[in-house]
Amino acid sequence: MTSKVYVALRVRATPARAFAVFTAEIGDWWRPQGLFQTTPRAPGRLAFEPAGDGGRLIETLANGKVFEIGSVLAWEPPSRLVFSWRQAAFPPDLHTEVEVCFEAVGEETRVSVEHRGFERVPAENAARHGFPDQALLARLAEFWQAQIRAVGAKVLGG
Amino acid sequence: MADRTALSSALCYRDPKAALTFLAAGFGFELVMLIEDDQGNLAHSEMAFGDALIMIGNEWTDDHRSPAAIDGKNTQSVHIHIATDCDAHCERARAAGFEIIMEPETQFYGDRTYRCRDPEGHIWTVGQTVQAVSREEAAAVSGLKIEGWT
Repeated sequence: MTSKVYVALRVRATPARAFAVFTAEIGDWWRPQGLFQTTPRAPGRLAFEPAGDGGRLIETLANGKVFEIGSVLAWEPPSRLVFSWRQAAFPPDLHTEVEVCFEAVGEETRVSVEHRGFERVPAENAARHGFPDQALLARLAEFWQAQIRAVGAKVLGG
Repeated sequence: MADRTALSSALCYRDPKAALTFLAAGFGFELVMLIEDDQGNLAHSEMAFGDALIMIGNEWTDDHRSPAAIDGKNTQSVHIHIATDCDAHCERARAAGFEIIMEPETQFYGDRTYRCRDPEGHIWTVGQTVQAVSREEAAAVSGLKIEGWT
């Protein structure tokens, strides 16, 4: 089994719109966070490229270099998206997994993120910042809450 | 965390994952955070209702117990205040397996309330304001001295 961090929030949009904003506009709403930095460089711009099955989640840095955060494992608009997630500091063979679901609740959409396997980051790895599992996973949950909040703000035209 | 209310309750359950399910079914609470360790044990969880949060956890120290572990005793209970239809709320809770220990009843202070016990023994009260009652009226009906009534 792996650890699991799940967070959910409602956004004011249909699932189709929320899915589109999450994927096509990730470069606009993404909030880089030092604790979960993807590369040692200044944060770049994220994009799903190409958008759809077989795509990748990439980050284009200021110097033009591209870092691959992960690959798309499931692309099922408007309800579900799964991609792998790795940070540059991770051991080469370590991939964690992120599942995003979009579920209609009345006129809103409940956007949930489940990030699995982050506890596999080794104890001495820089990406862990010395945190024990529970603290690390709690911070990861807050990180994803901030991301979904940013999606919610983007949906409202923020 | 942003947008957190100043007070939140944290409840202990022997089976917190089951509690997440019955609290969603009975009260419409929405799971907003769940952290599980690599054994699948719940480490932390939060459910939202309106602008408030409650935390659902396990018996995480020797001094934290579910009512199910202490002969059904409660030392705190959570009150849920709803805007509409207390009776329908009660029926939903009953259907989700909550034991209704006091059926909905309109109280002298103007709220319609009911009381229930969840499957692990936590007692919850639920209320909806259905009448505007002045302090003088409430004091006269109840015989209580009342301060701070707005």
